[in-house]
Amino acid sequence: MNKTLTAASLALALGAAMTVAASPAAAQNKMSDKEHCYGVALKGKNDCKAGAGTSCAGTSMRDHQGNAWSLVPKGTCEKTVSSTSPTGYGQLQEFKEKKA
Amino acid sequence: MSDHQAFADALLAAESTCPPGLTAWNGSDPGRRFAVYRNNVAASLVDALAETYPVTQALVGEEFFRAMAGLFVRTNPPRTRILSFYGDGLADFIEAFTPAASLPYLADVARLEMLRVRAYHAEDATPLDSGEISRLLADEGRLPQVCFDLHPSLALVRSRHALVSLWAAHQAESVSAALAAVVPDSREAALVLRSGLDVEVFLVPEGSALFIMNLRQGIAFGPAAGLASAGDAAFDLAAALGLLIRSGAITSATIAGSIPS
Repeated sequence: MNKTLTAASLALALGAAMTVAASPAAAQNKMSDKEHCYGVALKGKNDCKAGAGTSCAGTSMRDHQGNAWSLVPKGTCEKTVSSTSPTGYGQLQEFKEKKA
Repeated sequence: MSDHQAFADALLAAESTCPPGLTAWNGSDPGRRFAVYRNNVAASLVDALAETYPVTQALVGEEFFRAMAGLFVRTNPPRTRILSFYGDGLADFIEAFTPAASLPYLADVARLEMLRVRAYHAEDATPLDSGEISRLLADEGRLPQVCFDLHPSLALVRSRHALVSLWAAHQAESVSAALAAVVPDSREAALVLRSGLDVEVFLVPEGSALFIMNLRQGIAFGPAAGLASAGDAAFDLAAALGLLIRSGAITSATIAGSIPS
């Protein structure tokens, strides 16, 4: 059975979808709510999900390097202690390390 | 057979036999030197698979995964220099791999993991802006004939198993607690999509999966929605479109049969 949808019902759904998409509270069915957190990875333990043979994962040279990130659960980054961060915690953007 | 072919075959053979004519520069046993090289080839390819398929590995454990990957590597050596996509056939291999038969969802999880890598490397595309969508709405009569182009990174896996929940559980803080809540044989469909540099995985209902797959195949809006609601009575068109728009998955819209402007 192939139900035919009228042009009007398509328009209605598209209009509703635009409203839903624009609202910040849109229900997210995203499965991994993570954020990039700079300055919290230990030496050689930074993340980079580009697949095998790519060279960025695990390349950080120092603990808590300011331009190396880890994927962490959303909301936890700025609560994670970072010895190099001017704020004392991980940051969502890369930062210039302070002298330890 | 060329020397080159004999060398390559010996690298991947089940038993280590030194190809004829090899000598070692320092007079050591070429058979032993070759065995070391052979082992490194296999181990590095198995490492590459472990990097691409971390959840697959976590589901079966490292020992099982490396043994299975070792067998795969021997029959599926790399065909290109691009190691990122190495192991594209692992999901199909797992499906036919009897020792993994007790985990019927394993192949689909592997499929999802490779799609994530592919999505990461897919071409960029600019999402359709809301002004253009409003223009489509203004021409309601032709709306059913609109064809939507979807982002190059977009891919779907429809599974008879809870592949999204299984994958997501391995991204959680406490993997074992999250896994305990998963019912492995509930059907799930995964939508993979990159936004910016982040590859996202979405759990989508059956109807949405059908709808998006239809659009992907170039079926126009009207029939694509019709087929989806025929396939899934609970199909929610507005929700499916909302997800596509919100995640920037729609990149262009053209009226079927007309020349894109």
